[in-house]
Amino acid sequence: MNFKKALVIFRKEILEMLRDRRTLFATIVLPVVLYPVLFIGFSAIMSRQTEVLEKRGSSVALVDSLSLRDAASREAYNLILGGLQATPYLTTLEAPPRLEQLYANKDIQAVVTLTDSLASSGFPTYKVGIRYDASGDQGRMLYGKLEKSLLQSAQTIIAKRLSELQVEQDYIKPLVIRQIDSSTDAKKMGSVLGMILPYIVILMLVTGASVVAADLVAGEKERRTLETLLVSSATRGEIVLGKYLTIFTMAMINVVINLVSISFSVSYLVTQLGLEAGSVKLPIGSFLILLLAMVPLATLFSALLLSISTFSRNMKEARTYEQPIMMASMLMGMVSFIPSIQISNLLALVPVINIALLFKAVLIGEWQLSHLLITVGSTLLLDVFAIWLTVRLFRSEAVLFRTEDDSGGIRTVKTNRRGFFNPLNALVYFSLALAALYYLGSKWQAQDLMKGLVQTQLVLILLPVLLVLRFLKLKSGEIRQVLRLRVPKLKELALVPFIAISAAIVVAIIGQLINQIFPFPKEYLEQMSKLFELDRPLWQMFLVIAVLPGICEELLFRGFLLRFFEGKKFWYPVLASAALFAIFHLDPFRLLPTFLLGTLLGWLTLRSGSLINAMLSHALNNAFALFIITYAAKPWLKGLVVDGENLHYWVVLPALLVLAAALWAFNKITATKEVS
Amino acid sequence: MIKVQSLVKEFPKKDGTSFRAVDEVSFEAAHGEIVCLLGVNGAGKTTTMRILSTIFQPQSGTAQIEGYDVLTQGDMVRRNLGFLSGDTGLYMRLTPREFVTYFGRLFGVGDDAIKARLNEMAGILDMHDFLDKKMEFLSSGMKQKVSIVRSIIHDPPVMIFDEPTSGLDILTARNIISFIRSCKERGKCVLFSTHIMREAERLADRIVMIHQGRVLAQGTLEQMRAESGLSDLDDIFVYYVNQAGTGTEVAAHEF
Repeated sequence: MNFKKALVIFRKEILEMLRDRRTLFATIVLPVVLYPVLFIGFSAIMSRQTEVLEKRGSSVALVDSLSLRDAASREAYNLILGGLQATPYLTTLEAPPRLEQLYANKDIQAVVTLTDSLASSGFPTYKVGIRYDASGDQGRMLYGKLEKSLLQSAQTIIAKRLSELQVEQDYIKPLVIRQIDSSTDAKKMGSVLGMILPYIVILMLVTGASVVAADLVAGEKERRTLETLLVSSATRGEIVLGKYLTIFTMAMINVVINLVSISFSVSYLVTQLGLEAGSVKLPIGSFLILLLAMVPLATLFSALLLSISTFSRNMKEARTYEQPIMMASMLMGMVSFIPSIQISNLLALVPVINIALLFKAVLIGEWQLSHLLITVGSTLLLDVFAIWLTVRLFRSEAVLFRTEDDSGGIRTVKTNRRGFFNPLNALVYFSLALAALYYLGSKWQAQDLMKGLVQTQLVLILLPVLLVLRFLKLKSGEIRQVLRLRVPKLKELALVPFIAISAAIVVAIIGQLINQIFPFPKEYLEQMSKLFELDRPLWQMFLVIAVLPGICEELLFRGFLLRFFEGKKFWYPVLASAALFAIFHLDPFRLLPTFLLGTLLGWLTLRSGSLINAMLSHALNNAFALFIITYAAKPWLKGLVVDGENLHYWVVLPALLVLAAALWAFNKITATKEVS
Repeated sequence: MIKVQSLVKEFPKKDGTSFRAVDEVSFEAAHGEIVCLLGVNGAGKTTTMRILSTIFQPQSGTAQIEGYDVLTQGDMVRRNLGFLSGDTGLYMRLTPREFVTYFGRLFGVGDDAIKARLNEMAGILDMHDFLDKKMEFLSSGMKQKVSIVRSIIHDPPVMIFDEPTSGLDILTARNIISFIRSCKERGKCVLFSTHIMREAERLADRIVMIHQGRVLAQGTLEQMRAESGLSDLDDIFVYYVNQAGTGTEVAAHEF
């Protein structure tokens, strides 16, 4: 690797970027202009409009219906009238004729009505009605003015009454409440900025990087310049490095400009609003830490986006493939809006989320070095992987010179007589099954959970598959072949429990992590635990929760639906059926865990050519959950379980080790590919 | 010089089988010689040239550029190779000077040498007027001149031209043809591919006919005329295609 050549590429790319108006606009002009316009311009317009509204002036009618015309009432009336007349930009009309008409025509915008009642103490209490239109800005502003004026008049009356009684003013002020806020203004500002800034900066980082990344490889493919570059004496590694540095640099420039522009605009705005200025500027120290924290994220996105750009045939395709990454990072960046979440050593391991939370912690001045180190370290590890992937992609002819895909064509299965097994039919079938589950299954389960579960598995999941296969007029041997109902090797069966249990642990811990970030609603948890707290013998629970889903759901997803996506590629049917499997659970909180589980089960099936492995694995997985919940309170499980339901996080390490070893072994013994 | 021996390149197809784009291709080209790869579209010309320029890796067989192996000594191969094709793109936001300098640096040529060579070539090709204009404003003829200079900025002993005149107007194409001749005069080893028989007739010292990935025949035009008993290159090509009997009988009028 010759760093000099990477640098030659880097300099040329930067030069090109700086000459591209679109890139310049997105990375420099937009952030420089956006925030001042957003914060300063908007607030300026607002305060100007308020002033305009105030100066426009308004009229109020004062209607006196005091029944007792004694001296005190007259005095109160005059006091109120005087107060209103002294209010700027306000015209007060005393009991004008045709009042209702004036109010309806909006010639007067409010009516103040005075009535009185004799309080039990003997002193008169005047009732003041303020009629106004609360739907308009002017009405609300006018109400504020009137209320202020009236309260002042009330104060004057109080003062007068007290002096008549020869009582000191302080007599009626037994408590004076004073706020003593221990937080500094910087911290207060930090907590507000900590919600918004991480999100904005992550968003800007991804947006900026994606514009550049799409241009760098997919753009070269589109403009037919890539070949020329490849035959130059720069190696693929040097080309990747040069381009990678370009994306990273542009992304960081974008972040710095955004941060500076935002902090400038915010502090300007704060000064304008008359808050205690000066203390709210981002301290330069935390600014540097934020930049440091953004570096690994920028490198990660650069590598990811570069690999996408390398994979894509043209810029349009690159922009399409970039969308999911942008969406995912936006969603993850939003954690900063969730008030209760704080960074922990564990969350510091989760990419993007860790940066957002660290960002927040830095802004309120409560960050720890360990969090910073874990965040930077774990992100850098991912980076290395992403860069390695990009270089690999760049060395692959098939990727670099990818031609038109024939995606969406009908895949061939041996018994595919009518072209029935294609992805479109899978989606149609799946939608129908999902609708049946949603309308029928949940109704049955609401009536009687146990019976409903059995009915769902047998009637909604298993039966339709068998009917469709009958309808296709397949012989029973062919049906077994389509569904891969083949007895697996003994070695495979021996490995499955290790895979299933360790995977169940890993998936459970991922679920717990998700719960920590997006806490499950209470009703949801109650619903879930209902399932396991059925008052039934354990063997029945085992049958309904573990065995039945293991058989029926596997027949549907890995046996049947997976066939619809088969073709040349190994992973496509695995991932597609796993996605359907995840959606089928109708549970946003378990989407990721079920997807991962589905991926594993699909892999087991395709790898070994036998559905039985997946059935066993699925059943064991569910049985494991049942087992933990049933015996969580037992002393011999104490070491593994906390709070009676959650697993200790450390359990994930041995589980991962066992899983990796078992998967490796399974992969090894199934090395001969399935002949279909 | 170029030495190609039993080169095989296969591409995987979606249905699991593979497509053999280059099938046991062998030929050689020496310094001061123009060798033409002649064949219809999809014959395997571009794939062969991409293997020679280290973009693709062959499944079997060997290829050498100036004695350097394309599989194991890719870097040295690229240093000794100039590559130009008819549809090469340019970086539109750069000027010709920046563009040529960029590739010169990538080849490890010193800035002074780049400057000197660019000046020399600009004089020969009459490019001084637009050396510092952005390339998006250049005509296609000007662009092609820029590509020519780019391809020889590192003064490679071997030049490969992949369909160099395709898509070019007649005047621009003539520039390329005379450039190819001048390469030969400078003692470079030149390999160029085309599907245009006339071009091969006019330029090539030796012709390598290639069809469906296989070499049908190779030799000088005279040798081929003598062997086939035909005078027109079109007819000679069809003669060899039919001789090979690759399953697609072709009549002369199809070309």
